[in-house]
Order: sequence, then C-alpha cells, then structure tokens
Amino acid sequence: MRNNLKSILFAAIMCVVCSLLLTAASTGLKPLQQRNIVLDRQKNILIAFGIITQDQKIKNDDIGALYKTSIKHRMVNSSGSLLADSSRETNALPLYIHIKNGTVRAYVVPIDTRGLWGKIHGYLAIDNDGATIKGFTVYKHSETPGLGGQIQSRWFRKNFEGKKITDQDGNFVSISIAKGKTGQVVPAGKQPNYVDGISGATLTGKYLTAGFKTILEDYEPMAIEFRQKNQLYLRGN
Amino acid sequence: MENLLSIFVNSALIGNILLAYFLGMCSYLSVSKNLQTSLGLGLAVTFVMTITTPVNWLVYHYLLAPGALAWARLPDTDLSFLKLVLFIATIAGMVQVVEMVIDRYSQALYNGLGVFLPLITVNCAILGASLFMVERRYDFWETAVYGFGSGLGWLLAIVAMSTVMQKLRYADVPAGLHGFGIRMIVTGLMAMAFMLFSGITL
Amino acid sequence: MKLTGNKTCKAISEALWQSNPISKQILGICSALAVTVQLKTAIVMSLALTFVVAFSNLIISLIRHQIPRNIRIIAQVAIIATLVIIADEFLKAFMYDISKQLSVFVGLIITNCIVMGRAETYAIANPPMRSFADGLANGIGYGSILCGVAFFRELLGAGKLFGRQVVPDVFYEAGYQNMGLMLLAPGAFIIIGLFVWLEHSLLKDK
Repeated sequence: MRNNLKSILFAAIMCVVCSLLLTAASTGLKPLQQRNIVLDRQKNILIAFGIITQDQKIKNDDIGALYKTSIKHRMVNSSGSLLADSSRETNALPLYIHIKNGTVRAYVVPIDTRGLWGKIHGYLAIDNDGATIKGFTVYKHSETPGLGGQIQSRWFRKNFEGKKITDQDGNFVSISIAKGKTGQVVPAGKQPNYVDGISGATLTGKYLTAGFKTILEDYEPMAIEFRQKNQLYLRGN
Repeated sequence: MENLLSIFVNSALIGNILLAYFLGMCSYLSVSKNLQTSLGLGLAVTFVMTITTPVNWLVYHYLLAPGALAWARLPDTDLSFLKLVLFIATIAGMVQVVEMVIDRYSQALYNGLGVFLPLITVNCAILGASLFMVERRYDFWETAVYGFGSGLGWLLAIVAMSTVMQKLRYADVPAGLHGFGIRMIVTGLMAMAFMLFSGITL
Repeated sequence: MKLTGNKTCKAISEALWQSNPISKQILGICSALAVTVQLKTAIVMSLALTFVVAFSNLIISLIRHQIPRNIRIIAQVAIIATLVIIADEFLKAFMYDISKQLSVFVGLIITNCIVMGRAETYAIANPPMRSFADGLANGIGYGSILCGVAFFRELLGAGKLFGRQVVPDVFYEAGYQNMGLMLLAPGAFIIIGLFVWLEHSLLKDK
C-alpha cells in the first residue's frame, strides 16, 4: 500500500514538473515561432516575385523591411474588384501586389491545394500583364521526399518562369504540369501553358495542376482587369 | 470515395510507412526471421494502428488543436504542443488492451510475440502515423483509412521480409554482409520494388 | 576518482566504436533515416538526438533511487517526451527552415529505441555523470552514422554538400548524372547495408 502511494505521489510530482516545463517552453517560444512562420511566408512571397533568390543569405529584419516597402496585401471579391481594408466581405480572395516606383509590377496568388499526401502551400507570382508567370514557390508540403518533394526544388520552380496562364488569343487556360518534358509530350502551340513534370510524381503533378486551375479560375475576373489596365489596383493607397 | 481509395493505396503501397518513411524499423528488424511471428506482429500493429490513429484524431481535434477546447468554453487555448505525450499515452493504453486480448484468446500467439508486444508502444510507425495524420490534416475518415492502410503496408513489408530471409538461408551471402547488412540491402531492394506502385493512377 | 574517470572513458569508447548504435544495436535505426537526404538536416537531427539522450540519461540517473519500479517505464517515457518537445519547440523558434524539413521526425525521437534503451539499461543503474557521458557518446556515435549516410546521399544524389554544389559542372558536361536513387528511401537502406559490410570487414582484420 505504501508503495502504491509512493508511485502515485511520484507520478503526480512528475506530471506537474513536466507540464510546467513544457508550458514554459511553449509559451516562452511562441512569439518567436510565430514570427518565424510569418517571415517564412514573406520570404516566399518575395522569392515568388523574384525580388530575392532562394539561396540568398538575407537577415530576418531585412526580409521584414523589404516586404513592408514593396508588397501590399489586398483582398479582391469574386468579380475582381478590390476591397477596402475595412470590408468584411466573405469569400474575398487574398492577393499580394508588388509595387515599385508607384506602379504595380506583379501580383501573387496564394496556392493552397491538395497534394498527393497533404496540403501544398505556395505562392504563384503573375506579371502585371495578368498572364505571364513570374515565379512559383512552395513553403509547406508533405509530398514524398525525392519524388513529389521536388516541387520545392529549384529546377521545378524555375520551370514556371515565363510560362503563360492564357493561350495565344489571351483566353484563360491555367498552367499545367506535363507528364514528362514539355518539349516532348506537349504540342508546340500549348507549350507555354505547361511546365516539365517530375518523373515518379505523376499524382503530385495531377493534384497541383487541378489546384492551379480551380484557384486561378477564382482569380480570373481580377486577372482580366489586370490584362486590361493594371493600374486599377493601386487605388486606395 | 475516390479520395479514400487513393489514400489507402498510397499508405499501403507507394508511401509504405516502413519502406518509404523508415518507421517501425526496430521491431521489423528484430522479428522478421520467422514468418509466423512476423505475421502475428504485423496483425497486431495493423490492429493497434487502425484503432489508435482515429482515436488520436479525436484526441487532437477535441482536446489539443488550436481552438479545439471551444466546447469547454476555452476557444483560445492551444495545447498542440502536448500532442506527443498524449498520443503516446493513447497508444500505450491501446497496446495494453491488445496484449490482454491476445493473452486471453491465443496463448500460442502470445508466446510467439513475447517481448515484442510491449515494443509496439515504442514502435515508431504507430506514433508516426498519428503525427502524419495531424501534419497532413486528414479528416476523420481519411485518418481511419490512413491508419488501416499504413498498418497493412507495414504488415506486407514485414511478412515479405521474413519470407525473403527464409529463402536467403540457401543463398551464398558475402561474409561481411551476413545478418544485418544483407537485411538492409534486401529492405532497400524491396523499397525499390514498392516504389513501382507509384505507377498506379486512380 | 581515477576509477570513475576510467569508467567514463570506457563508456564513451564503447558507445562510439565497439557497439556503435546503428550497426550493432540495430534497434535505434528507426525514423532518423528519413532526414538523411541532406547533410544539414542530418546534423541538426543528430544534435537534437544527442541532447535528448544525454539529458534523459542524466535526469533519470539523478532520480534513479526515487523512481518506483512499477511505473519506471512510463516515467522514463514522460521525461524523454518532455525533452523531445522542448527540443522541438526550440528548433521551431530558432531554426525554422530546418524544423520544417524535419517535420514529424523530431517528435519521433521519443520512440527511438536508443533513447529508451540507454535509459533502461544504463542510466537506471549508473551515477549521473557517467550516464550523461554515456548518453552523449551514444548520441554522437549514432549521429556520426546518420551524417555518414547523409554525406553519401547528398553527394551522390544531388552533387551537393550542405546545399552547396561540389560536383563541378565539367563532370555534368562530360555526361555525369546525379544518382536519383540516393535521394529516395532505398538509397538509405542500401548505404546502411554497405556501411555494415565495410565495418564487418574492418573489424575482422583486427
């Protein structure tokens, strides 16, 4: 009986000590962790725009400053018009705009879509013509390392630069991941709308393609506005 | 439905939790000499995993996730840092139950598995499945299918391994590779074979 | 004093060479292999593991006379889990990029049999300093193999080390290609197998 009491007492003390330690560590480090998450997203947005490169050594403070000076976070509604910051419209779509010398250089669409294993989170930057892709980044995914995981690799991301989300007549077609090398499996006329696929990761490509299509379709009304006059989105600054 | 099927095939074959994610190697390597024991352990793991993964889903989504305590009027609490501890506790409890059930109904199996049953608690595959389910944000049914699929994948791998090891007794393996070395290489080859399943499109 | 020193040394050398975890104490192999695609993540993983093993040994050894036998295992798991979570939180706060890549695998240190094994077989019966040294040495011994695997996987698979290109462009122009297999899971298994082969042959020569 005394033994049992001792065990219970020991367990209780240990629970208290461990939980105190954990709570201290968790709450103490939370602000830092959350700052890291924000910085990571900002960094990826900057990379998508091509303002900084992936391997560039850059201080955290500089990322924050750079982001603040050149990127604006906006919301647009489903018909493509910009919402005021105070607007509480549901279904509004988030958008990041790169502004330099008072003109809109490009905009970034957040890509949150299903992958083979879990969600893929990334950013797709589109030039101010509303059609040409400037860059693509992935900041979180759980695809198979070495196969689908290559969506984060440099060659795959570079792949997107200069591709179009519209056909020759300017109609929306989205961007797709080819099953192999674009040059070999896609007819010449459609090549601008395809990027090289990752061998061994057909499904990741399939899901990502589908994700691009749904997401970009939502943003299409706004992209049309961009194609017509890109200065519209500066209003309200 | 198609979604669930694809999660199942992925977790059991293409992204086999043992061969692609290296989880559950400890018991895999120490038990895979004997087909009977391998099968028993594989079934035990499948069983435990099929139950613990969804249970851990409930634990996570109703106790730990940010905002999960809304039902207790504590919407701002985020206890997700405790998930490791709680998951382990759930698993340990479940293993205890399985052990008692096997002890009661199949003495032979109990004798065969012997020391390995408690080892299931520290089987990385089982904790791993629970952690992956959070990481990949599955919903409840996806989690259930994922847990079952992963367990089945593990079972497949360990049974395949034990049969290969039996055949290998008659093979002329270089001296330095005897035992552990050849097992790793065979596992590597098996992992390669399993990767071929990625050709399946659903 | 001298005796203790000797025993500490012996514990260290034993852990580092004679019974190096990955090949001899095969139990510890789980999970950590998944992070050996890059040298950088492997090193961080090794550090985290060494931290956990060393401190769990220290703490368990310190309270080894107090732990009631019947709840010994659960107490050990609780201590290890606490240390692992602390390590994980610190990684998330100070090395976010790497912690993203390590994802769930830091958490899986809990189920790494080395940590439990050392606590159960060594720390529970030995004085604190020696247990700490044993944990440290085991962690490092294990980490060295992890990094060894990562070295070959990154070098052969991507032509890089620490994310930096080391295979010169001339090679690629001459037709050299990265060995994609190394980046995938089978590569790790096969490298470990070859390591063991090498080790066996070396030990036999002695």
